[in-house]
Amino acid sequence: MGKKNKDLLYNVLFYGGNVIIALIFVSPLLWMIAASLKPEAQIFSDMSSLKTFWPTSASLANYIEVFTRVNMFKYIINSLLYVFVIVAFDMIINSLCGYALAKFDFPGKELLLTVIISLMVLPMEAIMLPLYIEVANLGWVNTWAGLIVPFVGKCFSVYMFRQFFIDIPNDLLEAAAIDGCGPVKTFFTIVMPISGTVYATIFILDFVAHWNDFMWPMLAVTGEEMRTIQLAIQTFFGSKPIHYGAIMASLTISAIPMLIMFVFLQKYYVAGIASTGIKG
Amino acid sequence: MMRKSTLSVVLAASLAATALVGCGDGSKSSSGSGQTTSDGAKVVTIWSPTDEPAIEEWWVEKINAFNEAHKGEIELKREAIVRADSYAYEDKINAAVTSNDLPDILYVDGPNISNYAADGIIVPIDDYFTEEDLNDFVDSIKVQGTYDGKLYALGATESSVALFYNKDMTDAAGITMPDKLEDALTWSEFEEIAAKLTTSDVVGTNIIMDKGEGLPYVLEQFWISNGTDFVSEDGSTAEGYVNSEKGIEAANFLNGLIQKGYANVEPIQQEFHNGKCATMLGGSWEVATLETQFPDVNWGVTYFPVADNGGIPTSPTGDWAACITRNADVEAAGTVIAYLMNQENVTTYAQAIAKLPTRASSYDTLTEYNDYPRSLFKEQSLNTGHPRPRTPGYTVLSPGFSEAMMNIFTGADVKESLDQLAEETDSNYQKNYAK
Amino acid sequence: MKKAVVKKYHEKRAALLFVLPVVILLFAFLIMPAISTIRYAFTNYNILRPDDITFCGIDNFVELFQDKDFKKSLFNTIYFTIIVVPFQCALALALALLISPRKKGVSIFRAAYFSPNVTSMVVVAILWSVLYNPNPSTGLLNAFLTKLGFPACGFLTDPKTAMNSIIFMSAWQAAGYQMMIFLAGLQGIPGDQYEAASIDGANKFQQFRYITIPGLKNVIKYVVMITMIQAMKLFTQPYVMTQGGPQNSTRTLVYYIYEQGFQSRNFGYACSVATVFFIIVITMSLMLKRVIKAD
Repeated sequence: MGKKNKDLLYNVLFYGGNVIIALIFVSPLLWMIAASLKPEAQIFSDMSSLKTFWPTSASLANYIEVFTRVNMFKYIINSLLYVFVIVAFDMIINSLCGYALAKFDFPGKELLLTVIISLMVLPMEAIMLPLYIEVANLGWVNTWAGLIVPFVGKCFSVYMFRQFFIDIPNDLLEAAAIDGCGPVKTFFTIVMPISGTVYATIFILDFVAHWNDFMWPMLAVTGEEMRTIQLAIQTFFGSKPIHYGAIMASLTISAIPMLIMFVFLQKYYVAGIASTGIKG
Repeated sequence: MMRKSTLSVVLAASLAATALVGCGDGSKSSSGSGQTTSDGAKVVTIWSPTDEPAIEEWWVEKINAFNEAHKGEIELKREAIVRADSYAYEDKINAAVTSNDLPDILYVDGPNISNYAADGIIVPIDDYFTEEDLNDFVDSIKVQGTYDGKLYALGATESSVALFYNKDMTDAAGITMPDKLEDALTWSEFEEIAAKLTTSDVVGTNIIMDKGEGLPYVLEQFWISNGTDFVSEDGSTAEGYVNSEKGIEAANFLNGLIQKGYANVEPIQQEFHNGKCATMLGGSWEVATLETQFPDVNWGVTYFPVADNGGIPTSPTGDWAACITRNADVEAAGTVIAYLMNQENVTTYAQAIAKLPTRASSYDTLTEYNDYPRSLFKEQSLNTGHPRPRTPGYTVLSPGFSEAMMNIFTGADVKESLDQLAEETDSNYQKNYAK
Repeated sequence: MKKAVVKKYHEKRAALLFVLPVVILLFAFLIMPAISTIRYAFTNYNILRPDDITFCGIDNFVELFQDKDFKKSLFNTIYFTIIVVPFQCALALALALLISPRKKGVSIFRAAYFSPNVTSMVVVAILWSVLYNPNPSTGLLNAFLTKLGFPACGFLTDPKTAMNSIIFMSAWQAAGYQMMIFLAGLQGIPGDQYEAASIDGANKFQQFRYITIPGLKNVIKYVVMITMIQAMKLFTQPYVMTQGGPQNSTRTLVYYIYEQGFQSRNFGYACSVATVFFIIVITMSLMLKRVIKAD
C-alpha cells in the first residue's frame, strides 16, 4: 500500500468514525432545534420516525410566542452579566491560589491543599439552606452580590489550575526572577500568557455550569429585575397545558450564547503551551 | 500578542464587574410586613406563580384598579414567582420562612394549605367573607382551604379530570360512551373498553403516569369511589385507609391496567393527542389544547369512572389558592383577599385563564360552560369533586404515594407497598403534627 | 545566602496575597454553611418552623442507622461511583485522542462531543425516556432488541436495570466535560516527543503508553478525582428521570438529603444525612490524595 492510499484510508476512518460518533452526541441538540421549529402537534407525533430530527413545515411561531410572553432579551443580558462576572472572578482569584499552591513554598501549604480537595466534595444541595440564611443575614437577598459572591471561590478551579501550573518548568520562572520580575509580575506577564488552554477550559466549563444555574437564583432572587434565563424558561412549565414548542424554542435560545462562546474559545485549543517553545 | 490582549480584556471586564457588584445595593427583599409608602399607605405584597400573558395582564389591571381605589391607605404589589415543573416554588417558600421574608399574601397549591396552616405560616381568613359570599363558592374549594375547622385559603379557579376518548377508535369498536353522570363507566366497563381498544400500536388508556403530583391528584379518586380514602377525615391516620381492603382493591385494579398492557407505565408526552392511546384520564385544561393545537383529533369526553357495585361518583379537584401569611398586616391583607375573591374578579380571572370558576354565580357570565364538553367538567366540579387529603403530612404522603404506585407497577407487592406508605405517613405525622 | 532569605520572604508574602481571596471566600460561603449543616444535624428542625429548633442529641444519627432508605441510597451512590468513574474517564480520554490530531474540522467534532453538556436536562430526559421506553412500539432500544429476538427490557422501569441505565446515560452526557480537560492536557505534551519516538520506530500504542500517559499524569489524577466527586454528588438525573425509583433503585444520598430536607420538611434529619455524607466523601478524598501523592 502506497503512502497516499494509506493517508486516504486513514482520513476516511478518521472522518467517518468521528462523524458517526458526533451524530450520536449531538442528536439531542438537533432534536431540540427541530422541535422548536415545529407546530405543537408534530413534536411528539414524529417521535417514532427520523422525521423527529427534521421540521417538515418549519415556522418561527414558537420563537415569536417566547418573545411576546416574556422579556427574553432582558433575561439573556441578566444571565450574561451573572455568568461573566462569576467566571472572570473565578479565573483570576482561583488561578492565583492555584499558582501559589503549585509553585510557592509557604507554611500551611499542604494543609490548604488538603482542605481544598476535601471541600470539593461538598454538594450544593446539602449546604444550600444554611448558605441562604447567611446570605439573607448579610442583607444580600435580591442583590447581585448575593447572586454572585458565594460562588466565586471554587475548589475545582483552584485544583485544576494547580495541576496545570505544576507542569510549568521552574527554569522559566527562575529566569524571570533573575530578570528582576517579582512574583506578581511573573504571574501576569509570563505564566498567564502561556496558559491560555487552561484558562479557556475553565472558562468553558464554568460558563456552562453557571449558565444552567437554577436553584440558587430561584432562592436568592424574587422579582423580575434580576431574573435569569433559566428561571424564565421554567415559567413555561408553570401552568398546564404545557407548550413543548415554546419550551424547545426557549431552550434553543438559551443554548446559543454557549455555542458562540465555545466557537470563540476554540483557538486556544489549537495553540497550547506546546507551541510556546518551552519543553517540560 | 493576540492572547495577551484577550487576557487584558478579561481583566478589564473583571474590574468592571467588581464595580458592579460593589454598587449592587439592589432593592431590599420584598417581605411585606409593616412597610409603608411615602404617602403613608400600607404596602401589601403578593407572591403568585408566573402565568400566561392573559393572567399577567389581569394582575396589572386589577392591581391598578385596587391602588386607585385605596390611595393613601393600601399599596398593592405583586411579585411573580417562577413555578417550575418541580417543587421549586415550595422550596422558595421554605427558604423565605427561614429568613422571615414571606410576603403578605401567598398563593399556594391546594394540598399544601393544611401543611402551611399546621405550621403557622398562614392565618385564618374567615373574617373577611360574609356567609352569603361563602355560599357562592363551590364546596371543593372551601373544603380544600379548611384546616382544623377554619378557612385558610380561597382560590378563583378549580380543576377537574374526566375520561377523554378518541371517537374514531370507540366508533370503530362499536363502543358508546355514557353521557349522563348516573351512567358513568364502572371500573369493569372501563377496563373492558381499554382491553378492546388496545392493539399492537395503540394502548387502551392513560392513567397520568407523571411520577409526580398527578398521581395522587387523579388516582386518589379510585380510593374514594371504592368507599375509602388516603387518610382519615381529620388527616391524622393513613393506616387502615390507604392500605385498607378497599384501597388494595383500587391499587390492584390500576395495576391490572398496567400489567395487562392496557396502559403504559411510562407513556410519552401527548400519547392520546397523537393517536397512540385510545382514552385518557385528562384534566379540564386539555380541552383547550385539543381544540387549538390538535384540531384533527376527533375526541369526546365522559365522566370519571366509578367503582363497581354502587361506587361513589367522584372526580379530582384542586387548584392554587390565596392565603394570608403570619407576616401580614391582617387588616390590609384581608381587604385585599376579599377584593381578589369578589364575584367580578373570580369571574374575570377564570375567564382569562380558561379554567373552571369557583363561584357558582360566575357560570351566569361564563356561558361556554353550558355546552358539552365544558358542561361535563362544570357538572363534575359542582357535584362530585373531592379535593386531595387535607393533612399537614401531605408533603410526605404525596411523593410517597407516587413512589408506592411506581413500585407496584414495576413488580412490588401491592399490600406491602401500601402498608409501608401508611407507616411512613403516620410516623411523619406523629413526629411533626400530633398534639 | 542573604538573597535566598529575601526571596523566601517575598515568596511568603506573595503566597499570602495569592491565596487570601480564595481562603476568605471559601471560609465564608462553604465552610461556614457546612458547619451550620453539621450543627443542625443534632437538632429537630422542621424547615417551616425555624423558631422552634430543639436540640435532640444524636437521635437523628440513631434513626439514620436504622433507616433502610438511607442504607440503600448509600449503596446506590457507591455503586454508581464505582461503575461510572472508569467508564466515563476512559470514554473521555478516547474522545480526546480521537480528535487530538490537528486536522481540519476537529473543532466541529470537539463541539459535538461537548454538546450534551450544554443541552438542557429537559431535552435529554425526554429523548432518553423514548430511547429507554419499556414499550417496544415507542422505545427505540426495545424495538431493536425485540427485532433481534431478545425480550424487551424495562430499563428505567425495572429496578434491576434502572441504575445501569442512568450510569450509561450519565457517562454519555458528561464525558465531553472530562474530554475538554484531557485535551488541555494533551496540548501540554510537546509535539517533538512524538516525532522523536516515531523516528525511533515506536508504534502508536507504544507512543500512547510511554509518552501520552506519563505526559497526562497530573491531568489524569485531576480528572479521576473530579469524576469521582461529581459521581458521589449524583442528583439531577434521578431527580428528573426516576425520582429515586423504582423500588429505591436510583435514590442517591444527595437526592435523599434534598428529599428529606425540603420535601419532607425534616431539615434536621437531612443535615444528619449530609453530615455522614461529608464524613464519607472527605475520608475518601483524603485517601485519594494519599494514593495520588504516593507515586
